[in-house]
Amino acid sequence: MTLNRNKLYSIIFISCLTGYIWLYYVAKKSITETSTSVEACFLKHTLNIPCPSCGSTRSIISLTKGHFAEALFINPLGYLIAFIMVIAPLWIIYDVSTRRKTLFEFYLKMEYYLRKPYFATPLIFLLIINWIWNITKEL
Amino acid sequence: MEAQKVDMFIMTNSKFFESHHINSIRERLLELDDSKWPMISTLQLKDPTTSLIISILAGSLGIDRFMIGDTGIGVGKLLTCGGFGIWAIIDWFMIQGATREKNMEKLQQFLY
Repeated sequence: MTLNRNKLYSIIFISCLTGYIWLYYVAKKSITETSTSVEACFLKHTLNIPCPSCGSTRSIISLTKGHFAEALFINPLGYLIAFIMVIAPLWIIYDVSTRRKTLFEFYLKMEYYLRKPYFATPLIFLLIINWIWNITKEL
Repeated sequence: MEAQKVDMFIMTNSKFFESHHINSIRERLLELDDSKWPMISTLQLKDPTTSLIISILAGSLGIDRFMIGDTGIGVGKLLTCGGFGIWAIIDWFMIQGATREKNMEKLQQFLY
């Protein structure tokens, strides 16, 4: 399965769509039942340890309510995910309607940079710090 | 290249490639110049079994995808807890094929 433009776009589009459906489901549930939190994380269910991106749903939901500091406190990755979820579908629609592949080229370029130790090492370090923070604050 | 060398290469490395690729690899290697043999015989290929083990153990962090070189998809899996756990499970079955495809891509640089 070599990655090409259409395959990448469908993967991203389906992921974003699932993300929006998930957000809608969680937001609706959190209105009706106040105390229960919905958890989908496989790692948390099996090992009882939060994964690096646990809490990003809660983070995005508090972002949509305008609690920016709270979102940052729950999980800073929520900002990144929210940004991707807003930008990616618009970019795909632009690319598909103008028959270009700017997002695909951008993706390949980002992949190229992320493979370099110069960029990868600090990012991995930040992610591990975030993970340790997640575990200590018991999300 | 000599048929003996090519057959030896195919025998030792057949588990790294998809079965439908092996015939074309063999034909292509037979036509190839002998000077490329040192490069091809020392090529580092990823073992599909290793990536399956990593996928089962750390698939929901996307580490299997990072390992075979699909950095973008790896980041995607990492940010979404392995695609809500569903994608991680799908990848248990996909990762071996994906690893073999990556090996093929790697070998192709020397074949053409």
